[in-house]
Amino acid sequence: MPNRRSRAALVALVGVVACNEGLQPTPRCAPNAAAICGRVTFQGTEPDSTEGVLIVAYPTFPQSRNDLLSFQPFPPPPSLPRPFAGSQFYTLPLRNGRYEWVVAVWKKVGAFAPGFGNADTLLKEAGFYRDQTNPTAPGVVVVHDSSSDSVNFVIDFGNMHPICTYFPPCP
Amino acid sequence: MRSLLLGALAIVPLRAASAQGTAALYGSVRDSSSRPLRAVVRVNGHPATVADTQGRFRLSVPAGRVIVRVSFLGFQSVDDTVTVAAGDSLERDYRLVPAVALLQPVIVTAGKRSQLLSQVVTSVALVTDTEVARRAITTVDEAVDKAPGVQFLNGQVNIRGSSGYVQGLGSRVLMLVDGVPANQGDRGGINWDLVPLEDVARVEIVKGAGSALYGSAALGGVVNVITREIPSGLHARVRALGGVYADPPHDIWKFRDYTGAQEGLDVTASYGADVVRGSYTAGGWHSDGYRGQDRRNHWQTAGKAQWLPSPTTRVTTSGSWASDQYETPLIWCTQGSCDDRGQAFQPFMIDASGRGAFTRSDKGYLATTVDQRASERFAWQARGSWGRTHFTDFQPAGDDWGVANRYGVEFRGEVRPPGDRVVTVGAEGSFSDVRTNIFTGDTNPASSVARTHDQREFAAYAEGEHRVGTVRLVAGTRIDHLDVDGGGLATVLSPRLGVVLPTARVGVWRASVGRGFRAPSLAERFVSTLVQGIPVVPNPNLRPETAWSVELGDAATLSSAVRTDAALFWTDAYDLIEPTVDNGRIQFRNVTRARLAGLDLAVTATAPVAGLSSTLSYTFLHARQLAHDSVPERPLAFRPTHLLTLSADYQRGAIGVGGDFRYTSRLDRVEIYEADPRVAEKVLNLRASAVWGAWTLRAQLANALNYIYSQVPRTLAPVRTLAATITWTY
Repeated sequence: MPNRRSRAALVALVGVVACNEGLQPTPRCAPNAAAICGRVTFQGTEPDSTEGVLIVAYPTFPQSRNDLLSFQPFPPPPSLPRPFAGSQFYTLPLRNGRYEWVVAVWKKVGAFAPGFGNADTLLKEAGFYRDQTNPTAPGVVVVHDSSSDSVNFVIDFGNMHPICTYFPPCP
Repeated sequence: MRSLLLGALAIVPLRAASAQGTAALYGSVRDSSSRPLRAVVRVNGHPATVADTQGRFRLSVPAGRVIVRVSFLGFQSVDDTVTVAAGDSLERDYRLVPAVALLQPVIVTAGKRSQLLSQVVTSVALVTDTEVARRAITTVDEAVDKAPGVQFLNGQVNIRGSSGYVQGLGSRVLMLVDGVPANQGDRGGINWDLVPLEDVARVEIVKGAGSALYGSAALGGVVNVITREIPSGLHARVRALGGVYADPPHDIWKFRDYTGAQEGLDVTASYGADVVRGSYTAGGWHSDGYRGQDRRNHWQTAGKAQWLPSPTTRVTTSGSWASDQYETPLIWCTQGSCDDRGQAFQPFMIDASGRGAFTRSDKGYLATTVDQRASERFAWQARGSWGRTHFTDFQPAGDDWGVANRYGVEFRGEVRPPGDRVVTVGAEGSFSDVRTNIFTGDTNPASSVARTHDQREFAAYAEGEHRVGTVRLVAGTRIDHLDVDGGGLATVLSPRLGVVLPTARVGVWRASVGRGFRAPSLAERFVSTLVQGIPVVPNPNLRPETAWSVELGDAATLSSAVRTDAALFWTDAYDLIEPTVDNGRIQFRNVTRARLAGLDLAVTATAPVAGLSSTLSYTFLHARQLAHDSVPERPLAFRPTHLLTLSADYQRGAIGVGGDFRYTSRLDRVEIYEADPRVAEKVLNLRASAVWGAWTLRAQLANALNYIYSQVPRTLAPVRTLAATITWTY
């Protein structure tokens, strides 16, 4: 009887071990990953003072300067890799949900003051995903246990907008 | 012939016995190989005699029916019922068969004094030097990791889910080295490489709030690393280590064109005389690491000296120093932050922002203790200690550094008044300071100015144990006063009550309730830096976090081969300190009220095959962060619900084989990078050993299945590693 039990325990252990599914190679924009993916196309000349360009998403379009801090994911992803020319593929891991503004943020070289007091001088909107039927409005993206592909948009260094464009007055 | 002789010997008292209604019982006790045993012979439950060197015994017993029990350590006792008439004599020869002797371990941490494990009111896990030595490892944590209810998250220890993961800051577990607090003075974390592995005799892990005796940091438990006693005579040991890391299991993850290796050497020598003893250890190791930018060099030295001026007095001075120089992998590469080869993430490569990061970390301690047993009723210990850490993080964006000291003194007395009572009383003080450019308290996080901060702690404690019949009752409390930069901060009272109730049928029950606390570390209070451009701002007003812990446990011996230990635990924690994101900045705040409840179960078996020992340990943890402000109740981050460890070792002669399997369920919640893929942890370690005279060869295949996982976000856990040690002992 003990032998049977031992064998059963061994079989159970082997069964558990056999399910050896650790992390696996995951192509960008894998169908089972919660993320948005797409291609960004760069236009204009990259400013000399560029520290980086990163993409974030907002569950609701910001209604105030304070709302600008409610972006996802947090901490923000690293900058897109250089060179900022031509086009490149990106993936933005996000929790399931609805995102009203997928935006590229240009970051100028420099440190933030406490409370982001100097954010106006360091950050600019450099492009965002647009509604396919109304290109002047942001496009809505829904993430639900799978990637949303083809969230493509343009990053235009010649047409960037400081925060005060959205939330005046400008300093 | 021997029977005749014994019979003749029995004749003399026979007549007298007859008159008093007694009889004579005589015979012998031997083992299965007919070797005599000096066994204890009991009659009707009372010790009657001890067999002589030839295994012979003779005793007078009451006439009538008597129960005889014959016992000898390491053998199964024999019970025999005999009936003998008054004035008669009876010969009985007993054969004892070997049995596995389950000796009660003695521990010193749970009550700040020596106790049998079965007499303590809280759960204690032990990691012996055998268990440490079985594994070809380099630091203590790699062995402690397999203890029941203990889990390491990227080097940060969790006892029943106490600490979670906050990058080493503010451990909720107190580390002791031979009873001396050894958490870092500035960050409150633990340096597991502080004590050379070769010097470790055992590790005691006390679970649950331990602040009633140990004060701050013992919120979730206490880990006491106990170093080896210095034996008499001259001894030496040389241990060489070599190993290789597996390549990534998928070609698309390959990150280097050579096989990573590790190698090391430790040398220990000791000499013990009657009055003076000393030991010294030195060594180092190098590792290429198992991922990008993961090389490490480690150097260490440790010494211990003892003066024994009298049989009741011992003066011990010990110290160690270790230096690490290691590349810092930071987080792994996600798409676009390295040559991602079309992958969403590359777990073996690092994010470009971490390139060039490098850390040098030096740490050491020096402690002197004086122990004296003044009388049968009073013993005392006095100690002084100094711990020092010095780290520098070399980073492309600017270096961070800190130099911290922690000075401590303690006086403790152990009083044993008449009447089965023991009282432990003591007073403790510590002073910590840090000079740093990161834990400055500066309101400008971009500033690199250096500042100094300090923290003082004063405490007094007392705990008494009273025995009523077989029941042990324990009550005690400790009061701590904390003071930061010269200003009073808080006074904390940490009481504890407990009871131990041995029963004949259902083992030894234990129950305890106690309060624990942790003072915020200087780092949590004064950190001022930028993380990915986000300011991390200081919070000088942080208060200590506190917790009430309740435990009900039972340790039972089901047979000579199977033991169990089970405990239900419940912890309610208040004002837990966690990094909080608010208004575009990160700050440590007292925000979280949490509840951690669950079950610990450990089963140890030595049957059914001779030489085979196995353990199963399982922890179920229900860890919830309770609702506060606008945040709803949710799982507490970085706490697995299920933690299962299976271990088995088989020893036949000089050859031993064994293994561990650890299953940790997928974390319900992490605090950063929540959208990243997470998997359960399933790690199988295999080991083998062989002994030839003075030489011992041990090999370990850690993570034999090369299971790829991360315990904390974007940080690859160790891959398959084959390591071997060869030890020469003189």
